[in-house]
Amino acid sequence: MTTYAAIQSSISGDNALPLRPESQVMDLERLGSFHQSRLSFMRTLVRRVFKERWKISPTTFDLDKDGYGTVIYDIKAANSNFSFVIFSNYLSDDERNDRVIATKWDLTMALVEGSVDGDYVEKLRENVPKQEAGRVDSRVFVLSRANRSARNFNYMIDCLANGQQPDIEKIAKVGYLYRTTAVYGSGKLGMADWEKVSTKHRDFARPFAGEMFVCMMLRNFSLLQVEHIAKQRQTDTYTPMDYDIKRYIGIGNSTGLGMAPYLVNHPVLISRWIEMRELALARIRTLGAIDSRIHYHLISLLNRCALHTKQTLTEDEWQTSNNTAVVGDLERLVEFADNGLSDWNTIIHFSEENCSLQGQEMLVSVLLELYPELVDELENFHCTDEFLDLDPLMPAARLKEIMATRYDWALAIDFKAPGAKETYWYRSQEKMEPRLGSISDVEGKKKQMALGVGYAVRKCFDQLSLYVEKNPTHSTARFLVAYPKVRGIVRRVQCMSRSKYGDIQANLLDQNVLPMHLLRCKLAFFGVSKFDPRSKLWVRNTMFQGAPLLEDIGSTFSDDWFMPLTPSV
Amino acid sequence: MNISMNELKAALRRCFEASGYFVGNYEDAANMVLWLEKHGLHGLRELQNTLPYVGEDLHKSLSNVIYEDSTSATIDAHGRSSLNCIASAVDLAHAKALESGIATVTVHNCHNRMFVLKALTDRGRSGISAAAYWKNGSDNITEHAAAIKSGHRYPSYSESSVQTVGNEDKQALTIICSSRVDVGLSLQDQDSTIISPQQVERNKNHCVEHGITICDKLWEDINVIGQGVLVENTERSRADAGGQ
Repeated sequence: MTTYAAIQSSISGDNALPLRPESQVMDLERLGSFHQSRLSFMRTLVRRVFKERWKISPTTFDLDKDGYGTVIYDIKAANSNFSFVIFSNYLSDDERNDRVIATKWDLTMALVEGSVDGDYVEKLRENVPKQEAGRVDSRVFVLSRANRSARNFNYMIDCLANGQQPDIEKIAKVGYLYRTTAVYGSGKLGMADWEKVSTKHRDFARPFAGEMFVCMMLRNFSLLQVEHIAKQRQTDTYTPMDYDIKRYIGIGNSTGLGMAPYLVNHPVLISRWIEMRELALARIRTLGAIDSRIHYHLISLLNRCALHTKQTLTEDEWQTSNNTAVVGDLERLVEFADNGLSDWNTIIHFSEENCSLQGQEMLVSVLLELYPELVDELENFHCTDEFLDLDPLMPAARLKEIMATRYDWALAIDFKAPGAKETYWYRSQEKMEPRLGSISDVEGKKKQMALGVGYAVRKCFDQLSLYVEKNPTHSTARFLVAYPKVRGIVRRVQCMSRSKYGDIQANLLDQNVLPMHLLRCKLAFFGVSKFDPRSKLWVRNTMFQGAPLLEDIGSTFSDDWFMPLTPSV
Repeated sequence: MNISMNELKAALRRCFEASGYFVGNYEDAANMVLWLEKHGLHGLRELQNTLPYVGEDLHKSLSNVIYEDSTSATIDAHGRSSLNCIASAVDLAHAKALESGIATVTVHNCHNRMFVLKALTDRGRSGISAAAYWKNGSDNITEHAAAIKSGHRYPSYSESSVQTVGNEDKQALTIICSSRVDVGLSLQDQDSTIISPQQVERNKNHCVEHGITICDKLWEDINVIGQGVLVENTERSRADAGGQ
């Protein structure tokens, strides 16, 4: 088994593999061009559930003919038992709102340690449907809610009740029955902290494993529920949903700015995820042998990605043009590969010179698919301690050197240029929702969140330069006693300079900043597909589309649901 | 009510940020309170005493070094809370210990010194042995000592009453750090209350499992102060979220 030490020696030092440089990878637009891969958290979760053959079954199924009521699943994972409790309540169309500020939803749900008795379910029923307005205890470790897709839900029921399968073209437009609008974990609303989950619940001791599991269960519940309602409506004509269509139904997701600060506030963790993805690519470039089977698989996946992208429908012009470019990129890559490949560097260089960023990163995801034996074990290294420890002994002069080299991108930004500090990030009084404002709002600007890492580096560097001139032998600790206001950024710079990839290289205060890139980066690590931006601030997407179903657990398992295609039923 | 550690930390960050603590310091301050509470050392009780004055540091001078040599330093905190200055004093002791083997930093005019335990404990994780000593109170005076060994995760803590007191600064704290020797420190008084590293670890395990119990009023007070970082909700503000 690969050890942490072996991973580290592959990333840095004499025996390091040729990882892509941070100036290339950490560019915000490139991060926003990432796609799902076999290291994405949905993929790693599904692999674990299916390989370990978790036993998941509803122990309480109490839905009325319209699908309202309570369902409780018992989950026997490899190490422990858990319960997934879901409440389905009536919601009128005009109350349905995907924003975080909503107060009612069609479905609310909780993932709980152990079995739940009647009293505990009542306690959950009192609180889970209220979401942010409720409280739960530390047995609960994920809470979520979801709203019906107005376009698909009733249509699907009508079809099945009348003995028909849904029209694939209609399903392809919206590949889900429910959209989840928030998935909470990590101690929110009284839930168990990550420290408890990561030490006690080994089945979910990977980043966002619990959260992804809840989305997976929601997807399976949605299929169960529409079939139940359709059957109740017309028992004599009802037909179950075709298996391939079921596989194609995912869970919708609506993600807004709330996700963006996470990437800035968890730099060590994000850097680790990127390290594993880049290490996988470097392993493939160095160790990945190319034979006829691999070559065939490559062409087949490139074609599949092109078709998947063509089947991705969005009204957003920017995303549409990106998708068109990606399809063209993939066609060029197929043509290039058809002429024969002796190593991976050649096609990667070709992509860097001839393809869009999204096309280049699609190729990376495809290459990862080809070598599970080089890639999959890296999923065990996605966790890391997030200590931002200060190195107090570091000479202040050395700190200045580090800033000048590792943060050259920040020092290259002209913060005096018009618009360079036009944007500020803040939390609203309304559910503390993160929002993006203009500095013309003078009062609001005073309460801005500290997300402008580049600007903070610039200010610190200027103070440090003067200090080092006067005190060339002083330590960082001594500098910080004199300049306590820069403690946060100094600690961050020191800590991130010890990682391979470091900070996201972008001025998040610029008037033209596209938060969409931050959202997409994190969503790609989750493993979503079908990005459908609704503005530069929020995006719809699809989770678990193409994934195997609960009923498949225990049968043969093919981990090949990358970039799923419309079923040909 | 019961809250998670993460909720407490997030609320405290907002609270200290709204009180004018700098970036880096408000995270430290939140972690110091949480650490004490998580490890059974009454962080919330300490905070309750601190909270009425939490905004006052904004108007006080920044800490400054008034004496320094290779193995020691004296810092004047100008009446600031240790939440808002002690981490950098411990960092300085740490740096000097690495340079000289052992170092002492004395901080004068500093309140709420119990919060130093988190910063001390971090030294243990960094391979430094660290200890702190201070006295507290004006009528009923107590003395306090905390120490952690190099490479250890949990400190020891002892507290006892003091019958007589000299004219020394009642708001002083002495920090000792060493990269060469274990500076284990415990009070000599036989009646002192001693909390062992093992007990500290047990307290932590209980908190990780069950979360934190906090009185409703204190929780409300923390959150009310923290509202100072939130921007008023307006139609314009709603549009800033990219509303649907």
